[in-house]
Amino acid sequence: MMNSPIITFENLSIGYHGEPLLSGISLTVTRGSFIAVLGSNGSGKSTLLKTLLGLIPPVAGRIALAREPGASFIFGYVPQTTNLDPLYPFTGFDVALMGAYGRVKPGRFVPGGERTFTRECLEAAGAQGFAQTRFAELSGGQKQRVLIARALVTRPDILVLDEPTSGVDAAATHAVLEFISRIHREKEITVLLVTHDLPIVRKHAQEVVWLHQGRALHGPVAEMLTPERLMSIFEMEVS
Amino acid sequence: METLLQILSPDFLLRNSVYTSILVGFACPLVGVFLVLRRLVFMGVALPQISSTGVAVALSVPLWLGVTQDVHSSQGEHMVAFIGSIGFTLTAILVLGFLERRGRGQPEGRLGTAYVVAAALSILILSKNRFAELGWLDMLKGEVITISNVDLLLTAIMLALVLITLALFHKELFLVSFDRTMAVTLGKNVAFWDILLYLLLGLTVSLAVLSVGPLISFGFLLIPALIAHLFARTMRQFLLLASLLGGVSSLVGFWIAYTWDFPVGPADVVLLGVLYGIAWLVAGIAGLTPEKRRGRYAVKNGANG
Repeated sequence: MMNSPIITFENLSIGYHGEPLLSGISLTVTRGSFIAVLGSNGSGKSTLLKTLLGLIPPVAGRIALAREPGASFIFGYVPQTTNLDPLYPFTGFDVALMGAYGRVKPGRFVPGGERTFTRECLEAAGAQGFAQTRFAELSGGQKQRVLIARALVTRPDILVLDEPTSGVDAAATHAVLEFISRIHREKEITVLLVTHDLPIVRKHAQEVVWLHQGRALHGPVAEMLTPERLMSIFEMEVS
Repeated sequence: METLLQILSPDFLLRNSVYTSILVGFACPLVGVFLVLRRLVFMGVALPQISSTGVAVALSVPLWLGVTQDVHSSQGEHMVAFIGSIGFTLTAILVLGFLERRGRGQPEGRLGTAYVVAAALSILILSKNRFAELGWLDMLKGEVITISNVDLLLTAIMLALVLITLALFHKELFLVSFDRTMAVTLGKNVAFWDILLYLLLGLTVSLAVLSVGPLISFGFLLIPALIAHLFARTMRQFLLLASLLGGVSSLVGFWIAYTWDFPVGPADVVLLGVLYGIAWLVAGIAGLTPEKRRGRYAVKNGANG
């Protein structure tokens, strides 16, 4: 099943209130790939992410998700830690357990098996040591590990990470990205990473989708991040 | 102590008032927790006022239609007030909630305007209604003295309904409140859960206003939750502590009011205000405020690892 399409963007236009911000996006995300979505502020990264996750409808075109008959497509979504209000007195475990809520019907309590699985995911993400600490009190890197554990608890078809290194220092960034790369390799899980950090993309991603001037450019990292290509994108010299 | 035992005695003349106060004291903080967490504290101020305006409008309708009746003698009258309260509250909360979801304009401005217009409208209606002096003003001030068995039963049933709904669906309501995007990716119908939460809020506020008035409703919706937030380490502690604080404060407030002949509503709210002040001092001295906790944890575990 590796290299089979998992997400296909078919002549997609995205934007708000019928006004396209990006148009003519046609690309395929293959199963088991590690794709980075790059772009400057305002280029449409967040809009693309919101459209993919189903938060806003496409202006035109469609997104085809490869799912088993009768099954739903699960996004293992990892938000920016700054998007989550520190007022909520959830522990790290409480936050990670939310990943199981998609499988537990409303009105039912979370079964013991799901709690055990959540502990396993926290352990895999290196977050078991602070799972009982209040989430708001954790550092940026620790929060990211808890949120990655939560995404794993969903048993995702794809991991979607929204600028996971935002607000996280260099050492924690390195650790978080190494962990994501490792689970990508070991679990053969598809990863979609939204970022503006070129060194991270060079080191970890296989393909790049670059959002630039209303278009989405797609290709392998080796092709997309050559100095010549970067020059043409930025219209300036990059050494 | 003797007075407290007297208040709790089944033969106590105002027992229905005591029981209703305690019910409202336990239940209101449980929905108030969501107002605090969603940073909609001002909604907790505006909704009881809007609800009481609904009561005033509903009770004025017979007068406007030329029908004369005694305000305090009829259960039908109480039902009309309930319909007015819940009608106004639900309409307001759904409209305000819809505007909140759209994220346009200033939420504080909308809620502030809703509050002040509702308060002014209540005064206007009461100023032109000759029945107002018979008791509406007492109710609006939080004078909990005339609660019938039927009122108590209705309050108990509706608040039990709210509690059961919260117990059954707390995980969905918390998920939608904490991380809407995650909720959408898990296939949750965010609008449905928002509306359910608003309905619970509306129902609780309407019942509380009708039973104990807007002043106590506001006090019990928010202040116990704000106090509990200072000390709770987990969501379960937060809910239990807020509810317990509300219930116990309502009993103690009633005892103070009965002993020193104060109106119950203001006594309850002032007591809660004093408790909040003491809680802040204690939390500050013990280093339990969220800022101090975060700072201590960061020092203990490294800056940003």
